[in-house]
Amino acid sequence: MLRRRNPVRTGHRRRPAAGLAMLALALVVAAVLEVSLGPVTIPFMQVLPKTVAYLRGDHSTAAVVMGAIRWPRLCVAVLVGAGLAATGAVLQAVFRNAMADPGVIGVSAGGSLGAVLVITAGGASVHAWAVPGGAFAAALTAMAVVYRLGTIGGRTAVHTLLLAGVAVGSLCSALVTLVLSLTPLETMQQILFWLMGGLDGSTWMSAAWLAVSVAAGMAIYMAHADALDVMSIGEEQAEGVGVPLQRVKRVLFVTAAVVVGVCVSISGVISFVGLIVPHLVRLWLGPRHRSLVPASALGGAVLVVAADIVARMALRPVELNIGVVTSCLGAPFFLYLLRRHAVSPWRSA
Amino acid sequence: MPELRMEGVSFHNVLRDITVAWSGGSLIGLIGPNGAGKSTLMRLAAGIWVPTGGRVTLDSRDVHRLNPLQRARHLTYLPQQTFHDVAYTVREFVAMGRFAHRKHWQERVHALRAAGRRAAVQGRGPGGASGTSRQLVEDAIAAMELAPLADVPLAQLSGGERQRAAIARCLAQGCDTWLLDEPISNLDPYYQWDILRRLRAMAEDGRLIVIAIHHLELAAQFCTELTLLHHRTVFAHGSPEEVLREDVLAAAFRLPIRTFRDPHTGVLRVSLPPRPAR
Repeated sequence: MLRRRNPVRTGHRRRPAAGLAMLALALVVAAVLEVSLGPVTIPFMQVLPKTVAYLRGDHSTAAVVMGAIRWPRLCVAVLVGAGLAATGAVLQAVFRNAMADPGVIGVSAGGSLGAVLVITAGGASVHAWAVPGGAFAAALTAMAVVYRLGTIGGRTAVHTLLLAGVAVGSLCSALVTLVLSLTPLETMQQILFWLMGGLDGSTWMSAAWLAVSVAAGMAIYMAHADALDVMSIGEEQAEGVGVPLQRVKRVLFVTAAVVVGVCVSISGVISFVGLIVPHLVRLWLGPRHRSLVPASALGGAVLVVAADIVARMALRPVELNIGVVTSCLGAPFFLYLLRRHAVSPWRSA
Repeated sequence: MPELRMEGVSFHNVLRDITVAWSGGSLIGLIGPNGAGKSTLMRLAAGIWVPTGGRVTLDSRDVHRLNPLQRARHLTYLPQQTFHDVAYTVREFVAMGRFAHRKHWQERVHALRAAGRRAAVQGRGPGGASGTSRQLVEDAIAAMELAPLADVPLAQLSGGERQRAAIARCLAQGCDTWLLDEPISNLDPYYQWDILRRLRAMAEDGRLIVIAIHHLELAAQFCTELTLLHHRTVFAHGSPEEVLREDVLAAAFRLPIRTFRDPHTGVLRVSLPPRPAR
């Protein structure tokens, strides 16, 4: 069925700390490129002085571009990438399913539906936070419905939950399409712009919301790192060694929904980050969640920042959709690794 | 020595009025036809499922009243083998047995409240609980003769080696009561024999080990007591000689199974009926 490249059984030592350090370095490099490249190029050496100038109240073009546009955009990119990828790693373990990503629990599609409804009702002109707020409320509603459907007699069955998430997700997507087909052209453009997702219009305020929810989410994920290890071996194994399974599943599911809900309501749906990054990190640094979750977060941040640079620079002055870039860069690379290792990422060493 | 008691336990329409007492120093074989409720009884005994009637007690404490962490410090449960398609190494897997013994963050908070900052910080140092934990994991690996395979991913092990790793995981957990659901199914004769030999030795150290098992002859040789489930309840319980009677087996398994003493070695043999002539 699956060929192994190396038939000899080998134990090899993994170096999670070195991996984390390399990812952090890559993130710093990507971040510097992100803030200095763009329609207004700011030399690397000018990044820090211009930022300080903006904070001191300098309103020259370079300082404003740096302080009010590039830095918030970078922060949002980093936090969204980290939140989506870490959540993907956690959900893959909870569902024991290699296909699981933040989309499977129906939260992204629910969030899209909420945003679309608010835009159609004309809410976008009422208040800047009306659309993200609507998206977040709808995302949490979708989560509550999925959770209710997946819980029978106080026990949450992950397979039912997974199927309920996919079904609720498709229903929401269908409703989005329905609303789209009924709206006038100019509203439709606005909706499409939101659905395609992106980091335009990132503000310090959205970065702050993201920072709070992603940081809280990461803390909760890390507190359950050991439990996630046992759960990815099997739910009954986890109960055998004393994991309070129902409570852990509930906590992680709600946390994942909130993190994804905030990400989706601020940046729209950025596909593929939550699926591919955890698999790449697992291939590289091994399956332990103590290192997998933070490394996925860093990897997701690097991927989104890098994709944003490509999206803005590749076909200047046209800006590409960032989700298109993550998928076009990520999928071939992922498939290459998959074939090279000739094993499923789930079982590789 | 641990004592696990079931008093009038029932569970929906799967089990009714199960009353049985198992105590330390014995390897209990739970036998019975498919669908008799062996796995259900295991999960009830492990406190994973709550009985709809009756009580399950471990050393006179209700098993399902204990929280999962407390329970896992007294009792370990090993499900039937369905997993192991994963990249965790043998050492990482065995260390998972220590889950309930780690200082969890809730307990750290309690410790902080109870004894001030210092107590909570001491609990996590390398010389503290985690240091002895690491030693217990290494001991368990050595006891199961898995040292050369300690860094090999589970996905690369044979079925028998995985089962040995699973036993090492139970050993690392450090409980006196073990509940193992079909630990030798799907193994070749060598590993069936090898695993049962080890389990018997560990039971003789004072543990209570309950295994669900289909292989009647091996059950007769290695188990100290057998519990036969049939018709949703305990059909027979006692020493292998008492349970493996031809009339009992014929009723439970719907086959004329013969039992006899081996004329050469004197051990109890179980023989299935020959293929019917056409």
